Amino acid sequence: MPKIILPFVALLAAVVAAMLLDRPAPRADVVVAQGSDCFTLDPQRMSYMQDLRMARSLYEGLVRMDGQTAEILPAAAESWTSSEDGRTWTFQIRPDARWSNGDPVTADDFVYAWRRAIMPDTAADYSGFFNGIQGVPEFFTWRSKATGDYASGEVHSPEAAEALLEETNQRFEETVGLKALDERTLEVTLSEPIPYFLDLCAFAVLSPVHPATVEQYVRLNPRTGMLEQEHGWTKAGAHVGNGPYQLKRWRYKRDLRLERNPEYWNPTMAAADTIEVRCIQDPNTTVLAFQAGTVDWVTDLMAEYRADMSNQMKAYQDKHSDSLKTMLSQGLELDEALSDLPEPEDGERRDVHVVPAFGTFYFSLNCRDQLVGGRDNPLKDPRVRRALARSIDKQKIVDLVLRTGEAVAETLVPPNSIPGYVSPAGLGFDPERAKAELAEAGWLDRDGDSILEDPDGTPFPTIDFLYSTGEPRYRDMGLAMRDMWSRHLGLETALRGKDTKAYKEDLKGGDFMVARGGWFGDYGDPTTFLDLSLSTDGNNDRGYSSEAFDAMLAEAARERDPERRMAQLSEAERFLLEEAMPILPIYHYATTYMYEPARLRGITRHPRLEQNLWALQPISDR
Amino acid sequence: MLPLIARRLVQLPFIVLAVYTITFVLAWLIPGNPLENPEGRRPAPEIIAAMEQQYNLSDPVDFYFSYLGNATGISWLIGDAAYPFDLGPSLQQRDWTVNEILMDGIPVSLVLGFSAILIATVVGLGAGVIGGLRANSIADVSTQSIALIGISLPSFVTGAALLIVFAAWLKWFPVGGWGSPSDLVLPAITLSLPFAAYISRLVRFGMLEQMATDHARTARAKGLSERRVAMRHALKNAFLPVLSYLGPATAIALTGSFVVEKVFAVPGIGQHFVDGVLAKDLTLIMGVVLVYSTLLVLFNLVVDVMYRWVDPRIELT
Repeated sequence: MPKIILPFVALLAAVVAAMLLDRPAPRADVVVAQGSDCFTLDPQRMSYMQDLRMARSLYEGLVRMDGQTAEILPAAAESWTSSEDGRTWTFQIRPDARWSNGDPVTADDFVYAWRRAIMPDTAADYSGFFNGIQGVPEFFTWRSKATGDYASGEVHSPEAAEALLEETNQRFEETVGLKALDERTLEVTLSEPIPYFLDLCAFAVLSPVHPATVEQYVRLNPRTGMLEQEHGWTKAGAHVGNGPYQLKRWRYKRDLRLERNPEYWNPTMAAADTIEVRCIQDPNTTVLAFQAGTVDWVTDLMAEYRADMSNQMKAYQDKHSDSLKTMLSQGLELDEALSDLPEPEDGERRDVHVVPAFGTFYFSLNCRDQLVGGRDNPLKDPRVRRALARSIDKQKIVDLVLRTGEAVAETLVPPNSIPGYVSPAGLGFDPERAKAELAEAGWLDRDGDSILEDPDGTPFPTIDFLYSTGEPRYRDMGLAMRDMWSRHLGLETALRGKDTKAYKEDLKGGDFMVARGGWFGDYGDPTTFLDLSLSTDGNNDRGYSSEAFDAMLAEAARERDPERRMAQLSEAERFLLEEAMPILPIYHYATTYMYEPARLRGITRHPRLEQNLWALQPISDR
Repeated sequence: MLPLIARRLVQLPFIVLAVYTITFVLAWLIPGNPLENPEGRRPAPEIIAAMEQQYNLSDPVDFYFSYLGNATGISWLIGDAAYPFDLGPSLQQRDWTVNEILMDGIPVSLVLGFSAILIATVVGLGAGVIGGLRANSIADVSTQSIALIGISLPSFVTGAALLIVFAAWLKWFPVGGWGSPSDLVLPAITLSLPFAAYISRLVRFGMLEQMATDHARTARAKGLSERRVAMRHALKNAFLPVLSYLGPATAIALTGSFVVEKVFAVPGIGQHFVDGVLAKDLTLIMGVVLVYSTLLVLFNLVVDVMYRWVDPRIELT
C-alpha cells in the first residue's frame, strides 16, 4: 500500500507549490467588479463600454468630457481654434504632455493613431467615426479595394506588399485632411463643418497611441498585403499610455490593475493610488463579493437582483425623504447626503443606485417590402407600424415586466441628455387610434371570424417576433406585447427565441417582423441616435429607407445656426417616431450600480453616464 | 510496461486528430460570425471581409489544415511558420493569443482539478472504509447519505451554498478570486464532492466484499487483528477499482470544472472554453480541444501505468 501513496504526495506537493508561486498583490484602494473582462486595451479597436472607460484612464485624447457636466475640457491639447467656415481645426498639444515612458506626446502620435483607426486593415469598429474628416471615406474605399486586388492578384511578396503600403501612406498624406504642422500642432480639415466635432474628439477611440511601442507588434502580411496588428503591447510591462494611470497587470478574464502614472502632467487628477478591476461573471458571486467588502463598485448589477434591491433602496430613501430633501436643497450631492443619513436598517439599503443611461431599448419593425421567403410584409405600411406602436402600453411593461424603474421611452434620444435639444412627444398609448389606423390600412375583419383580412381576403400573417434568449426579460416583454396586440388589434404573434449569435444573423438578414434591439449614444448630439435610420447606415436593421428622412438629416448637417439645427433634428425625430415608426422605443436604459456612498465617491449621474476610473475616490473610515 | 507506453504514444496523434476533426466540424457549423460583436455597432462590410482574409476564415478546408499545421508545429518544421505550437490569436478577445490564454488558465485548472481529486480520494477512502467495516451503523448510513447528496446535487448549488455559509456569513474564506491557498479551499471542495461520494461507495462495496473472501479469513486465522486484516489485505484490493476510476475522474474534474470556475470566479480554462463556444471563437475552441485531448490521453496512460505498478498481475493492452 505505501507505494501507491507516493504519486498522491507528489501531486499534493505540486498543488501547494503552484499556489505559493501565485503571490497576490495587496488590496487596491478601489476594487471594481465587472461582469466581463475588457476586450481590448487598443483604443482604436474598442467598442465596449468597459473598454472605453478603461481607455479614458490609460490614455488622454485632445480633449475630454467632464463626467459631471458633459462639458468639453482641454486634455492633451491645451488650446484649439477653428477656422471661419468651421472646417479647419487646429489643436495645440500641451508642452508637458508625456507618455508613461517619458517621451513627449506629439501631434504625430495623434496622426498615427487616427490613421490606424481609419485603415481598414486595423478592423476598427468605429472606423466610420472618422468619415467627417476630408478624404477619409475615399481613402478607406481605395485601401479596401487595393488590398482586395492585391490578395486576389498574382504577385504576393514582401516587396510588393511594402510597395503597396508605401503608396497607401503617400495617398493618406496627400488626400486626408489630417496633418501634424509641427511637433505640437495638429490640423484637422473636415469636409463639412461638424457642430459636435469637439465632442467626437473626446471619444476614447480617438486617443493617441505610442507609435514606437505599437510598431513593434505590427507586421505586413505578404499574402494579403495588409498590416496586421498583434497586441503584445497592451500587456503590463510593454504598455505605454499617456493617461492618469498606467497598466500594472492584466490577466485574462481575471483582473486588471492600475497605478498612478508618474509622468502624467496633472498629478491631482487621479483620486486613488491604485485601482483593481476584477472580472466576476457570476451575478451571485458579484453581490456576495460586494457584501463581503472585497469589491467597492459593481458596475452593472444583473437583472436578477435589481428589482428587490432597488425596492430596498427606495424604502430607505422614502423613510428619510424629508432630511434628504433638506440636504439636497442645501446644495449637497445625493451621495454626500445619503452618507450623512443614519445607517440602513433591516430590509433597507443605500448601496444600490439605479441611474438613467444614455441609451434606449426598442423593438425594430421590419420595413422591407417583403419578408424572407418572398412573403408580403404588412409592416411595410407605416400605418400598420404606427398601429403596432400605439397599442403597446409601455408603462405596464416597465412596471410589471421589468420592475426596475426605467423611464418609458417615446423617443430614441433620451430626453434632457443633450443641451438645447427638445424631444418630440411620440405616439403614446392609444388602442382606439391604433385600431382605426389598422382599418385605414385596409386590415379589417371582413368575414366575422375575428381575423383581420386585407381587401383581397388575405389574413394578416402571424407576427414573427424575434428575441435573443440570453436574458429572460426579452421573452417576458414578448409575452406582454403578444397579449396587447391580440387584445387591442386582434393580431396573432409567435415568439421566436434564438441564441445571441443566431439572433444577430436573423436580424442582419431581415428575417423577422419585430425584433428586439437597443442603442447607446456615443457623443453628445442627437445624430448619434438618428443616423441609425439613414438608408445607408450599416446598423439600420429595419431596412427603413426614406428619402425624406435622409434629406432632413442632410439639411440639418448643412445648417450653421446651432439653434435652428437642433430644431431641424427634433423635427426629424418627430417624423421618424410619429409618422414613419421603424423603431418602437420601449424604455430608456438604466444602469444599476452597487456602491456604498459613505465609502466611495466620484460616480456621476449625468444622463450621458460616462464614468471615469480616475474620478473614483475611496473615503477612509470616518 | 514499455511496449504499453510505446503503443499508447503511437495511438495518441490519431486520437487527437479524430477529436480535432469532429470538434472542428461542429464548431464551424455554429451560426454567426466570430468577428462580430454580439451587441452594438457593426463594423463596415469591408472590415469584416478584411478580417476573414487575415484570420483565414473564408475557406474551412484551408483553415482546418493551416491551423493543424501551426498548432502541431508541422508548419514550423517545414519552415512555414516562425515558431511551433502556435494556436493563433483569439478571435473574440483579440488582445490575447490562445497560447497566452492557455498558459494562464491551464495551471489554474490543473491545480483546482488535482486538489479536488486529492480531497475526493482521501475523503472517499475514509468514508468508504468506515462504511465497509461497520455496515449499516449510524456512521455508515450518515456517510452514505451525504455521499448520495454529493452525487445528486449539481455543483452550482453546493458551490453557492458553501460560498454563502463559509465566505459570506462566517467569512472564513474569500468570496471568489484566485491567488492564495485560501482561495482554493471552497472551489476544490465543491468540485471534489461528487467524486468523493462515488469513491466512498466504490470502497465501501469493495471492503464488504474483500472482508468476506478466503484470504481475509486466512489472515484472521493466522491471528492478525481485524484492523490489520482490513488495512493490509482488504483495502489493497478494494482500492483497485478506485484507481481505475481516477483516470476518467481526473478527466472530468479538469474539463468539467467550468461551473465551479464560474461560481467562484476562478480563472481556469473551463469557463474560457464555454465562453469561446458561445462566441464561436474558433481558434480558442480548437486550441483548448487540442491541448486537453492530448493531456487526457496522457493522464489515462499514467493511471494505467500506476495500475500495473500496484498490481503486476493485471495485463493491459
